Amino acid sequence: MNEIEQLRQEFNEKISSCQSLSELNDLRVSYLGKKGPVQGLMKLMKDLPKEEKPVFGQKVNCLKSELSDLIDAKKVELEEKEMLSKIESEKIDITLPGRKPNIGTIHPLNLMWEELEDLFIGLGYQVIEGNDIVDDLYCFERANIPKDHPARDMQDSLYIDENNLLRTHTTAIQMVVLEQSAPNPVKVICPGKVYRRDDDDATHSHQFMQMEGLVVGENISLSDLKGTLLFMARKIFGQDKQIRFRPSYFPFTEPSVEVDVSCHVCGGKGCPTCKGTGWIEILGAGEVNPNVLKMAGYDPEKVSGFAFGVGIERMAMLKYGIDDIRHFYTNDKRFADEFKRFE
Amino acid sequence: MKISRKWLSQYMDISDLTIEQLQEKITNAGFEVEAIEKQSQGTNLVIGYVEECTDHPDSDHLHCTKVNVGDAVLDVVCGAPNVAAGQKVIVAKPGAILPGGEIKAGSIRGQKSEGMICALFELGVDSKLLTEDQLNGIEILPEDAPVGNTDPLGYLGLDDEILDIGLTPNRSDCLASFSMALEAGAILNREVTLPEFDGASDIGTSTTLKIDSKTDRCPYFLGKIIGSVKIKESPKWMKELLMASGVHSINNVVDISNIVMLETGQPMHFYDMDAIPNHEITVADGFDEDYTALDGVTYRLQPEDCVITNQGKPIGIAGIMGGDDSKILDTTKGLIIECAHFDHVSIRNTARRLSLQTEASVRYQKGIEPLAAKKALDRAVQLLIEYADAELIEETVEYGNNPYEPKEIKCTLNDINRLLGTSYNCQQVYDIFERLHFAPVLNNEEFTVTIPSYRTDMEGKADLAEEVIRIIGFDSLPTTLPLMEMTEGKLNEKQKLKRTIRHYFASQGLQDCITYTLISTEKKDNAIMPKGDAVELAIPMSEERRWIRTSILPSLLDTVSYNQARNNKDCNVFEYSDVSYVGGQQSRVAFAISGQLQQSRWTGYSLPSDFYTAKGLIESLLDQIGIASARIAFKENTIDTKHFHPYRSAAIYIGKDCIGLCGQIHPSYEKQTNVKGVIMAELDCDLLLSIKKAKVKFTPLSKYPSVSRDLAFVIDRDMPVEKVINVMKKQGRVNKEMVIRNIEVFDVYEGEHVSENEKSVALSVLFQSDTHTLKDEEINTVFNNIIAAIVKDCNAQLRG
Repeated sequence: MNEIEQLRQEFNEKISSCQSLSELNDLRVSYLGKKGPVQGLMKLMKDLPKEEKPVFGQKVNCLKSELSDLIDAKKVELEEKEMLSKIESEKIDITLPGRKPNIGTIHPLNLMWEELEDLFIGLGYQVIEGNDIVDDLYCFERANIPKDHPARDMQDSLYIDENNLLRTHTTAIQMVVLEQSAPNPVKVICPGKVYRRDDDDATHSHQFMQMEGLVVGENISLSDLKGTLLFMARKIFGQDKQIRFRPSYFPFTEPSVEVDVSCHVCGGKGCPTCKGTGWIEILGAGEVNPNVLKMAGYDPEKVSGFAFGVGIERMAMLKYGIDDIRHFYTNDKRFADEFKRFE
Repeated sequence: MKISRKWLSQYMDISDLTIEQLQEKITNAGFEVEAIEKQSQGTNLVIGYVEECTDHPDSDHLHCTKVNVGDAVLDVVCGAPNVAAGQKVIVAKPGAILPGGEIKAGSIRGQKSEGMICALFELGVDSKLLTEDQLNGIEILPEDAPVGNTDPLGYLGLDDEILDIGLTPNRSDCLASFSMALEAGAILNREVTLPEFDGASDIGTSTTLKIDSKTDRCPYFLGKIIGSVKIKESPKWMKELLMASGVHSINNVVDISNIVMLETGQPMHFYDMDAIPNHEITVADGFDEDYTALDGVTYRLQPEDCVITNQGKPIGIAGIMGGDDSKILDTTKGLIIECAHFDHVSIRNTARRLSLQTEASVRYQKGIEPLAAKKALDRAVQLLIEYADAELIEETVEYGNNPYEPKEIKCTLNDINRLLGTSYNCQQVYDIFERLHFAPVLNNEEFTVTIPSYRTDMEGKADLAEEVIRIIGFDSLPTTLPLMEMTEGKLNEKQKLKRTIRHYFASQGLQDCITYTLISTEKKDNAIMPKGDAVELAIPMSEERRWIRTSILPSLLDTVSYNQARNNKDCNVFEYSDVSYVGGQQSRVAFAISGQLQQSRWTGYSLPSDFYTAKGLIESLLDQIGIASARIAFKENTIDTKHFHPYRSAAIYIGKDCIGLCGQIHPSYEKQTNVKGVIMAELDCDLLLSIKKAKVKFTPLSKYPSVSRDLAFVIDRDMPVEKVINVMKKQGRVNKEMVIRNIEVFDVYEGEHVSENEKSVALSVLFQSDTHTLKDEEINTVFNNIIAAIVKDCNAQLRG
């Protein structure tokens, strides 16, 4: 019996010092193999009295299964240990830069264009565009701009010939829409590029973008214009913004107003951006001049309308704090990269 | 328009309002006060008496003075050449804040100085209103100036505050201070009292004056002889008002013509009667000669210029400037007054061509109210009698007719409220009309108003509505949204396609650009596939901006060149834009890529901006908008080999339609445009829009396994791989079912181990059936057929 106990002790010592799966395998073969000590114990049986044989055999079998269990448990332990050591050796520097896909940029004017477009689409407006080259009938005559107005001088606008020119405002699109729609209601925005004979500098560009809005129907009032523009200003500049109207003059609207929004930089307290006034001029607007409605085929006694014209450059410059209009047309990659965020 | 507080105060009481309150109220009613100018500035000033004046011991130009300022005698060092004992002067005491800074007591070259004796320009008075003497020295006050008076600027009448008002084009009537005063009275709700002068010019004896007009550019003309005037200095009030308006005082007669113009808006010209032989004045045009005007400058007259003549010779450029020969001098004894209507377009063109904008020409261009000529003449005669001792006044001579009927407008209360979205009552609206001098008559909620002659901007109900809200104030306007039938807001198909294209290219790593529509002749000549001839501007802004572009790429290459020159690496740009040609407009998208489109250097990953990247960008774009790869063909570019590398570019076809070009830039065009390594493309988006797109339709997934087989072969270098693939596809059927599901090119090799005119190609073919698991023998049969076909049709040699 001592031999069994001795063998157990000897095995326990060896297995506890076992460090690897291969050592463990060797241990298993050396103890439990056919020529191993456990099998050797069985050979002692033949010398035992008959009545002791079953007890001894049982004990040896017990030992055998005990050792086998210990080996299995040790195996799980060693496998876990080896796996831990392997993954540790696989450690990487997670601070190295990722393989970051370059997602490109949308031009800030197009971002502003799309933002305005989407907010008016949400209000049920159609989007109408037109040609860059327009008939001066639609650019001027129908917009109530008289023949002798300086803008209609061949020297002052970019004329192609006596009757055609690069549009000076997107009002030219609206006048076509009005003519095509009369006498039915209209609810459109008309975005597009426009052209003026201006020398390019920090605040002037011979080419720029406008988006005009036009609503014509029964009882469309100046208050409706104010509500619409308040909605727009809050969408673009923030829900806490206010707008104010100041009287102005445009040939195609009457009454005409300039629209200011409370300064988004200082919140109305006064700062360099708003020149200390707390307000920033964002656009011109008004009730459609009855002459314009009449020329397009509406009866101004029955319908009225409002129109507004947003300078997309101006909105983008205010929203993003851009100080020079020429940035938009230089397309410097470093400028563009500041506008990575687009949906 | 500049109007001063003193000027306004002549007509109404505004003593309770600060200049800032005036500014706010006037601005809110549509007259934007762009600036408030103080005529002069300075604190801690006093009138002093120079008791002693000696030369500074240590300077060749400074003086040491003792100045009595009433309660003290100050030592003041003064550098002015004109300072002398016995003068009354303006002294800035220590602590005074002047436009140039603060005055401090101290010593100047060892001599004590307790202040400064001031020149007017040092007190912020506009230097163009000062004389040479005033600009070179201190201001010397009259002998009776009260020493110790602490408001010397007020004493001099230089304490006025000036409102600089930006007038909208419809309210140029307010260039006349009388109109501006009436307007301010309406805004401020004040009683306005204007001078009485109606009919003052109706006096006069029979006249020797003959006036005529030979041009329709002068339809109406009033003339009058004032036989005797006395030229002298203008009264103080006149000088002060002129100064506040930025006009130099000359003498009483010239000043009267200017004052009347400022008051009524009607420019008039006074001629020295003795310089006009026969007292004959004719307005004419058709001159083509040099003419020297009042300012001493010689101008070239052209036939379309309207000219004032005497005996066939020019004596003035009509409405702009008179002549030197007939100007008012100190010796002038009598006047001929010219007060006329001139065509504003004619004046505008002449003034612009001669670069000669005067107070008069500006007023003519902006339009003068119909009754102004008579008002101006009345006022001028009144002032000449009072301030220039006018006598021997002859009767007025009139050329032409000036018919005038006051305008009446009718509108109801509902009209006003309907346009404004307000709910004003009759009394509110009536009060506004009354304040504006519209003489309202109310009858059963309908107003009838009579418009004053100077309000030429008033046409109808909408104008009246504007007057009401403008005077009541826009702050009271409600905010509502339009109530009308529901409409669906949406982009049309073309607008949707534009957005898809723009967002696709941006998401692939390209930079969205906007370049100019107007281009140079060189760029115009380098258009890619122009749809028609380019449109030229009648009068271009510059050579750089002469043409309207027919193609985007020439401008976009400028962007690449700009960025490459600034070491902005990996320039990958695109632009979607409309272009125009004779007869139409077209929407296009162009891109230009260079360097790498995607890159991670330390991991060794890169997506080079090469032909295949460009081709892939186009293929995936078309895929995304519903044009499957099978419909697209990249064919040899025979369309434009001037801008594109002839062997590294392609014409892109969808069916029979060529939608654009794509490829490497031609080396000579690359040099010309100063760009490096550019691959570019330009596509016709109108064609893309019109081409039929596939609808998205689900195809059931095969339940059976797929098998892939690779093969490698050598073919002629010129043999297009696409042809090999097409030959292979023809052999891909098992029981009539197409079992080749994909053919992927995974290697193309030229060089060592492959002969010079050949290339090695390796493909992976994917087989799958929708009806059963493909057996080895089936695949082998197809595969062997494929090999046989490419050996036969493509002269391919199989590699081991």
